[in-house]
Amino acid sequence: MIIIAPYAQKLRTGKLNPKNYSYWEELIGNINEPIIQVGIEGEEQLVPDFRKNLPIAELRKLLKECRIWIGVDSFFQHLAWDEGKKGIVLWGPSDPLIFGHPENINLLKDRSYLVDNQFIWWEATEHRNDRFVKPKEILKYLKE
Amino acid sequence: MATRGRYFTTLPLVLNAIINQTRPVDKLVIFDDNDEPQDMRSQMIYQYFFQMLDIKGIAWEWLYADKKGQHHIHQRANTIGYEWVWRCDDDAIPEPNVLEELYSHVDEFVGAVGGSVLTPPYTPDTSAVTGLIDNIDNEPNIQWGVIKEEKQVEHLHCTFLYRAGVVDYNLGLSRVAHREETIFSYRLHQKDYKILVVPNAVTWHMKNPEGGIRSETKQELYEHDEQIFRNILRYRDKTIVVLNCGLGDHLVFSHVLPSIPNAEVFTCYPEVVPGKSIAEAIHLFGDIDPWNVYKKMDRWKWKDSLESAYRKLYL
Repeated sequence: MIIIAPYAQKLRTGKLNPKNYSYWEELIGNINEPIIQVGIEGEEQLVPDFRKNLPIAELRKLLKECRIWIGVDSFFQHLAWDEGKKGIVLWGPSDPLIFGHPENINLLKDRSYLVDNQFIWWEATEHRNDRFVKPKEILKYLKE
Repeated sequence: MATRGRYFTTLPLVLNAIINQTRPVDKLVIFDDNDEPQDMRSQMIYQYFFQMLDIKGIAWEWLYADKKGQHHIHQRANTIGYEWVWRCDDDAIPEPNVLEELYSHVDEFVGAVGGSVLTPPYTPDTSAVTGLIDNIDNEPNIQWGVIKEEKQVEHLHCTFLYRAGVVDYNLGLSRVAHREETIFSYRLHQKDYKILVVPNAVTWHMKNPEGGIRSETKQELYEHDEQIFRNILRYRDKTIVVLNCGLGDHLVFSHVLPSIPNAEVFTCYPEVVPGKSIAEAIHLFGDIDPWNVYKKMDRWKWKDSLESAYRKLYL
């Protein structure tokens, strides 16, 4: 079983968080094993099994049970690191050297796509699809 | 230098004294906090000052401040990018050797250096004064008297030279900014820097009942600031931790917490990092920005991990 945590925190402006990965549907379509999506009420459902608003203890339990997890730069990657469970983090404008954990597979397309100021509110950054790696890059790591 | 209401009284004396220091300043910045600021380039005496600065090759800037109090002004100076800041008052006139003398005591372990700040005719004998924060209610300020030998203290008053960008001014204080320099210099002491008072560096404090950056009379403002100061003292043996940030940040910080001695934690997610509420931290300390790890990382031009940033902030 794979866990996906597809979304970073909603922005106060209502705009798409620039850290949200752009190609989830294509990625999910190429995965041939059960997927559980975790997140909160209001987020788009990407797979049949979407578990919303789970307490941290429940998320930790799921992490123990999963083969691997895939997420973005959100609290979930920190929770999984805290739990000692390796996963794949899909990076866009934020810097994995600052906000990531080397224990994970941190997939960043190129450092030139990082925003200059890593410490401003993300509301100031536009979402861009071209910042992210394509699904075929991720699938290579999923097979390992 | 912060100024308010003293364009034509003591401010010109202070400017003249700064211009004529034996160790010239690298840059003079005047933060004008007047309710009705003027363009002083139209005033003859100021025209001469600006010309003297230019002839001496001293960079200068006249900035209009936000009218929030001198602690906001000093915080701007603190973060303007210089390694050392000499904070001057607009009614405290330094003798020509003051900056040179203060700077001569600087080394890698020093956080701030102050000299005598004499207010005629009051010059108490402060030779036995300790300058320790525990004695602040029981002794005069050591800088009020003639300092005869170098002494390590825990807090300073009025005007002094300090290492910039290490700690922040408390911006939670009211406009009167009561105790602001005591809190600031004590924070440098808490960061294990030496705070010194030194001889042969005399500033004459020509206390002027008119104007002044603290020309507010509301007693409740002083009481508000005094309460913050007392709370800071009450918690001085603790390492204050304020986590006004996201859940992920709390999870990362939880790996740092065991290394922090005697931590008193204020938290948004007590289920992850137990502690008191953020509202209580604001109530106690007025300003929680000094614990904002994101602002710190921005200021430090941080390239290392978030966990390392927490370690730098708290250890």
